[in-house]
Amino acid sequence: MSTTDVRPTGQPDEPEAPTNRPPSMHRVKMWIRRPYARWIMVLTVLIGFLLMPLAWLLLAAMNQTGAPASEVMKDIEQTVFVFTMVSIPITAFVFAVLVYSLLGWKHVSGDTPPEDESPAIRGNTIGVVLWTVVSSVLAFFLVVWGLAELAQITANSYGTIPADEQPEDKQALIVNVTGQQWVWTFEYPQYDGLTTETLYLAKDRPVYFNVTSKDVIHNFWAVELGVKIDANPGAITQTGVTPNKTGTFNVRCAELCGMHHAYMETAIQVLEPKVFNSRAREMGGGKAT
Amino acid sequence: MKRAFVTLLAVVVGVAIVAGIAVFNSVRQAEPPTLSAEVSGTMDTPQGTLPHATLELAVYPNSSAKVPPPKTPSQFSANWLSGQPFYHPSTSLQVPANSAVTITFIQYDSGGQIYNPYFADVHGTMDGTMTVNGESVTGLKPTEVGHTFTVHQFPESTQPDFFLSVPLKMNKANAKTDKDGYPVNPQKIEVTFITGDPGTYVWNCEFPCGDMYQEFGGPMQTRGWMAGTFEVV
Amino acid sequence: MSTATATANVFGTDVPQPKQHGKPGGIMRRLNFGTGLIGGIGLATVAGLVTNALTPSGASTATFAPAAPEYVYLAVLLGWVIGFMAGIGAFIGPIRWVLGRDLTHADAEYMAGKDLGWKRYFKFTTDHKVVGIQYLVMTMVILGFGGLLAMLIRTELGVTWAEVFSPAFYNSLIGTHGIAMIIGMIIVVMGPIANFIVPIMIGARDMAFPRLNALSFWLLFVAAICLISSLFMGGVQDGWSVYYPLGAQAPPGMLGYQMTIIVFAFSTGVASVNLMVTILTMRAKGMTWSRTPLLVFGVFASALMGLYAFPFYQYSQILALSDRIFNTSFFDPLEGGSVWLYENLFWLLGHPEVYVIIIPSAAVLMEIIPVFYRKPLFSFNFAVAGIVGVVALSGLVWAHHMYMTGWAPAVNYPFMLSTEMISIPVGFLVLVVIGTMWRGVVWTRLPVMAVYAVIFNKMIGGVTGIYLSDVPVDQYMHGSMFVVAHFHYMLMGAGLFGAMAGVAFYFPKMTGRMLDERTGSIGLWTAFIGFQITFGSMFVAGLQGQPRRVLQFDNLFNISNWISTIGAYTIGIGMLIFLGAIISSWMYGDKASSNPWGSKSLEWQTPTPVPLENFEVLPVVTERPYDYGVPDPYQKELDAVDGDLEKVGK
Repeated sequence: MSTTDVRPTGQPDEPEAPTNRPPSMHRVKMWIRRPYARWIMVLTVLIGFLLMPLAWLLLAAMNQTGAPASEVMKDIEQTVFVFTMVSIPITAFVFAVLVYSLLGWKHVSGDTPPEDESPAIRGNTIGVVLWTVVSSVLAFFLVVWGLAELAQITANSYGTIPADEQPEDKQALIVNVTGQQWVWTFEYPQYDGLTTETLYLAKDRPVYFNVTSKDVIHNFWAVELGVKIDANPGAITQTGVTPNKTGTFNVRCAELCGMHHAYMETAIQVLEPKVFNSRAREMGGGKAT
Repeated sequence: MKRAFVTLLAVVVGVAIVAGIAVFNSVRQAEPPTLSAEVSGTMDTPQGTLPHATLELAVYPNSSAKVPPPKTPSQFSANWLSGQPFYHPSTSLQVPANSAVTITFIQYDSGGQIYNPYFADVHGTMDGTMTVNGESVTGLKPTEVGHTFTVHQFPESTQPDFFLSVPLKMNKANAKTDKDGYPVNPQKIEVTFITGDPGTYVWNCEFPCGDMYQEFGGPMQTRGWMAGTFEVV
Repeated sequence: MSTATATANVFGTDVPQPKQHGKPGGIMRRLNFGTGLIGGIGLATVAGLVTNALTPSGASTATFAPAAPEYVYLAVLLGWVIGFMAGIGAFIGPIRWVLGRDLTHADAEYMAGKDLGWKRYFKFTTDHKVVGIQYLVMTMVILGFGGLLAMLIRTELGVTWAEVFSPAFYNSLIGTHGIAMIIGMIIVVMGPIANFIVPIMIGARDMAFPRLNALSFWLLFVAAICLISSLFMGGVQDGWSVYYPLGAQAPPGMLGYQMTIIVFAFSTGVASVNLMVTILTMRAKGMTWSRTPLLVFGVFASALMGLYAFPFYQYSQILALSDRIFNTSFFDPLEGGSVWLYENLFWLLGHPEVYVIIIPSAAVLMEIIPVFYRKPLFSFNFAVAGIVGVVALSGLVWAHHMYMTGWAPAVNYPFMLSTEMISIPVGFLVLVVIGTMWRGVVWTRLPVMAVYAVIFNKMIGGVTGIYLSDVPVDQYMHGSMFVVAHFHYMLMGAGLFGAMAGVAFYFPKMTGRMLDERTGSIGLWTAFIGFQITFGSMFVAGLQGQPRRVLQFDNLFNISNWISTIGAYTIGIGMLIFLGAIISSWMYGDKASSNPWGSKSLEWQTPTPVPLENFEVLPVVTERPYDYGVPDPYQKELDAVDGDLEKVGK
């Protein structure tokens, strides 16, 4: 039942390596001559091309309300694009095999199984190694890309900078975000503690959010800015971003927080810096300190 | 043939069960009947002369023989929420669009310290003030809030932003009460605000007046009690 | 059975027996589902009344809630659990052991349901085949219940212009749907198929601990009733994950949820130990690991992961219960507790749990495909490596659910690494499936057609998981409908459809009838098409920015939700048709031969219906399980021309 191979017969002085096997490149060329090999490669490429527009469609879905409105969001979109492209080869290959197995290789229906018709391939070292190497390389690429991107976003704005150690960036705007069932309030400590329920930001001005909650866990999600962090009671979490586009965007709560969780939305107004300052003054925020 | 029949039966019975349960529960949890603001005359506002509508709401600390509690979907909820505060007579409010609306709150409950001092101030009214027992103020002390009436955003970007938050003053602990336990002289708060184009909003109280964790459970999470809908039509 | 003999003849051997007390089975003759109900309802009522009397009227808990409902409900739940298990005879075994009254062979045969007919399905029966059928029915009920809730959820989301249900009820719909489906999916393969098929597949007569087997099933039943009861006490309003402190605002229904999990964790723990010991020690003579079918590996892996992971979940609910009843503050940050403690405990289960669901389903596929392609499984060792890799990594990835919690941003890096890495062993399993399809002549019957659906869904689910594993992308996607669509693709698209393939495959052995393929296929493919519509559209909604667990949302998401709802109704119809196919085939289907698929695996070598002891003589295994097929035709051609490729025809 095992496939024929050309092992040495155990006589002494016989060469170890099989000598009557065709050279490797020749074997690859002969394999490619097999009809199913060619068809599956063609199908893979075809399905791959059919899947490629997804990369743009995914971005189109994300950009319907004005995104990207910050570098962070642009990075995220670029990552989605790249990940889609990187995932396509293996996905297309798997789909190609699924398709060809129904259309290319024989199939039978009815009450009796097709006995003794399929080749008893127990394994294929080349196939296994190739798959492992390709999937590992792709996975590592995605990991390295992701780690690098995360480091970059963190260095600029995200997560690890405690409120009292935030850089002496005179430019930066600090907003204390408080989530409460079921309203967001935003306090501007640099503007006399001005508190609003709509988030006002200035274009091209970095902003650090210190986020907390008065009751249960909420999640502060500035959708088009690509910023998200849990609002935990009893703790302050930080994130940051620099909006680079004026307009009206959305803050939504992304962690179930009770009855009116769906209604815990508010607007972000990104304004030109001068407009921002005058608006702050209008609302009683005094001069920027 | 028998098999096809059984399969068909399974589908029909399944669909019937789903539909039945959906309808039953939807009806059971219907919001309280709508309370509409009455339009009466016009009012001069910074945005011109607009029709003027009025609405009156009361807040009771608990139900009594005189004031029945709001309807609840089940007997369990009725037991669970007995003795809790509620808005009366309804929490489904309707006000006219592009009008000046005045809401009068009669507040019978006590109160205390509000968690977020933002809600001790009034927001979203016509001139940024409210009238408390005849006196015009911009807010209350955070320690003497009874409840709030906070209308906030419905997740619908095509309707205008609308935010209104009114702190309702508490009755002192030693206030004189009548035989039902309600203060004889409740707090009276009046606000006037301007509505824009039609839209649907929700409102709830932001003062911890319920039970469970941070007193934001119970009636605070039940429509008909301390939360409801607010429609601008 | 005579009560006086001191030996019993067991397969031709005279085995000395302990003293027979009374009729075979003893008191178990009188105990059944009915007495269980009497015990459960009775003790629950007594406990409730006593607690009610002891609670001062008008008393409040520490959080100002009425105390009576809380304490009475908890007492009722405890009374139900203990009373039902006592009433059905779960404690009889330990009591007999304490009293020194060992089971005789006649007792054991009685407990295994010998000659009891249909009644054995309603007793504390130890025969693994009976437990398998009990699990099958229970799983269909639980999944059906979850499906009903899903239809209600999608109705609410489809009616975008109004609130069909009140927001609090909607929250409890999604919470109960989640936990019902999770429980259903955990047991859908591990319950019916692992219990019924695996012992026969390894050539054993029963499991290592038959009474624990019965115990695990009835504990599941008890837990399911606890969950149903919570619906009447305010429901599970905080998602199936019940983050604290939100869970501390919930009505008493939350106690029902906590008891459900505590009891269910015992059920799965007991079942896991049973399965693992059975697989390790009771494989037939000659069944070395390389001759053990993949399903056995998959079931073992799932049991192992469940065993180490479920205690975290159980523990989190015990702490939550303690917070609620005894006013401790494990999860109350204002009193020194930590919200992140709960999240970590929960996700330490929550992640391995999805592998508990998906690995048995993938293993079932690997049983099906060699039979229907008449080829050996492609690279058996690679499949085992994939399963081992998943198990090894499963405990190292949980905090990818916590990227956005701000818990420990520095650990986001290693968790991103481990999460991306786990896609590799999962990929091994996909390769084994398509490798077995490679150059195979397929016998297009329902079980193998379902495999195509599963692999398609698994690829989409896996790739979308890769997006989510990247922390910056998760900054957009976490808490949005994208996540919901991803896990439905994995758990339902790959998990549930795989289980359906397994049920279709093992139906002839378990019920003695053939599943009607036409109706079954119509049901399956209708559900498949509906599934793509529903969750494909849900990806779009998530990308557009719709958060999860919301009942009303921006107009922007309307179209995606309408499409999803129509797709969901299609899934509902498809699943009902499949259910109809199962019920009608069970009742009126063609009688099945003992090996309709021509499989070489041990379980198909028994007659149908499988006799009580499974095998007259325990088998000895001499060959690998997937030895189908003929020598490679291409290789034969090559050899015919002595390797001179220029002479090969094609």
